[in-house]
Amino acid sequence: MAAGDEILRTEGLWKRYGRITAVADMHLQVFAGEVFSFLGPNGSGKSTTVGMLLGLIRPTAGRAIVFGSDMAMHPWPALRRIGAVIESPAFYPYLSGYDNLRVIAMALGDVPRARIDEMLELVGLRERGRDPYKNYSLGMKQRLGIASTLLRDPELIILDEPTNGLDPAGTREVRELIPRLAREGRSVFLCSHLLHEVQAVSDRVAIVKRGRLVAQGTVRDLLGAGQHLRLRADDNEALVRALGSVPFVAAAERVDGYVRAQVPAERAAELNRALVAQGVFVSELRPWDNDLESVFLELTGEELHA
Amino acid sequence: MSTRHLMAVEFFKLRKRMMTWVVTLLTVGLIVLLYSVLWSISGRAGSFRDDQGFRIAYSELRRGLFLEAGVPFALQIVATFGTLLAIILAAGAAGSEYAWGTVRLMATASSGRLRLITARFIVVWCIIAGLTVLAVVIAMGYSAVITEYYGGATFDFMTAGWFKDQGLALGRTLFVMTPYIALAFAAAVVGRSTLAGVGAGLGVAFLEPLISGLMRIGGGRWEQVPNYLISANRNVVLIQNKLPRGLPTFGPSARDLQERGSNSVEEASVILALYIVAFLALAFVVYRRRDITSGTNA
Repeated sequence: MAAGDEILRTEGLWKRYGRITAVADMHLQVFAGEVFSFLGPNGSGKSTTVGMLLGLIRPTAGRAIVFGSDMAMHPWPALRRIGAVIESPAFYPYLSGYDNLRVIAMALGDVPRARIDEMLELVGLRERGRDPYKNYSLGMKQRLGIASTLLRDPELIILDEPTNGLDPAGTREVRELIPRLAREGRSVFLCSHLLHEVQAVSDRVAIVKRGRLVAQGTVRDLLGAGQHLRLRADDNEALVRALGSVPFVAAAERVDGYVRAQVPAERAAELNRALVAQGVFVSELRPWDNDLESVFLELTGEELHA
Repeated sequence: MSTRHLMAVEFFKLRKRMMTWVVTLLTVGLIVLLYSVLWSISGRAGSFRDDQGFRIAYSELRRGLFLEAGVPFALQIVATFGTLLAIILAAGAAGSEYAWGTVRLMATASSGRLRLITARFIVVWCIIAGLTVLAVVIAMGYSAVITEYYGGATFDFMTAGWFKDQGLALGRTLFVMTPYIALAFAAAVVGRSTLAGVGAGLGVAFLEPLISGLMRIGGGRWEQVPNYLISANRNVVLIQNKLPRGLPTFGPSARDLQERGSNSVEEASVILALYIVAFLALAFVVYRRRDITSGTNA
């Protein structure tokens, strides 16, 4: 797969449980080599969607196509190219971390034993690899989960809240690992509630609310980067009125003591001149730095929790 | 990825699991315990009434413990008590995956759900078959000790015909255990828990004979219903193992079965086979088609 090739696509994906609609008309697209983040509040259908992407849950309607395979009909060729940790890690409690990875390696069939040690080393579990999984802390379980996804050397990695239970150092390691995986040519499908982390590592983002896709695009597009200016004047009310008469200002509104104007950032000087001409002098004029959290809140009207 | 490959995975998991070794120890312990008790009793003088009402001399019971009768008696113990352990093993192998959440892990790491569940059932069945053979070996060992104690073991009886009979007895025993194993396995898959499998398996093993008895007492149209259930047909097949006189059968005698108007061996075998097919089909269809919503890693 060349970078930029489509590797995952959902076509009008629906999942209903009786009268409850978990996922509605979901259209997603993920391309090779990108970090794609899938965001949504609790119960918004993220895990159900991931279940359908892995062929574990049958869609009520629509299709999930991954690496060209319809995951409801014939998921196995694609599954060999996917590694995933969904919700929270689960392994055989009576087996050691090493033996749990060995079970997966045996099931996959073509994973050399040396790779198990390699993966344990990668996630910092080499020393505790022979301990029973039931004695692992949540952070160690999470790291074993990540090791299990990498065991098969996947082209697509699906991570659902991969930093859950990790200490700050572990969280940082995972945050660093995600772009590294992408640099190695893998695609990452990331479900996370840590929006500032998502913003830092993602190429594209999809936001879901109550099973419906409310936005999908590049992080830059979603944040509206370069499309808004932050202004402040002694009289913000007068400033908003003045902005309303400037032809290239699409919209203006008061936000927390500032005025946000929808206008290309490169026209800031031109805007200032137009305001001065109307006798309005601004004390502050700079690009509006949006963040994913505020975009998310704006689109879903909900706080995001794990 | 072949089913054989997945069988290696399932065998690895069960080999490392404490439950498998506990069941193995219980099987060995059961054989040793029953032989010890019967050996102790058989030392008495006089006679007793067996479960068919015949008067049996204790010396005859002792002869039943000799090497020649070791295989059928060991198989009788396995078919009666071992079935209960087999139910626990089968239900545990299928149901624990749901409790641990590993059902998703295996479903996405293997090359097909149907292959996976087939491999799992075959491995469970093979382990139970292995335990049955182990029980026979232990019983033969104990019988050899008893035989030696009472004047020396000979192996003259080990003719081709004897080996054939013992092979058939082993086959019959495993065959009559399989509907219970398949039931426990299917119930664990459908109920997504070990408890469901154990409950269904043990429930049928214990309650079905009681309910069958009540139906026979009730008479009329109810009287023939037990002939279509598992336990009555299991007894018909198992009675062919020809247990020596005096040893406990833990079930109805040939005479009892005749009086009840039980099925022929052929009819009983077909009915048991149908149960096996039905239970396995249920487990396979449910496992293959149902959404896997619990569990975590893939």
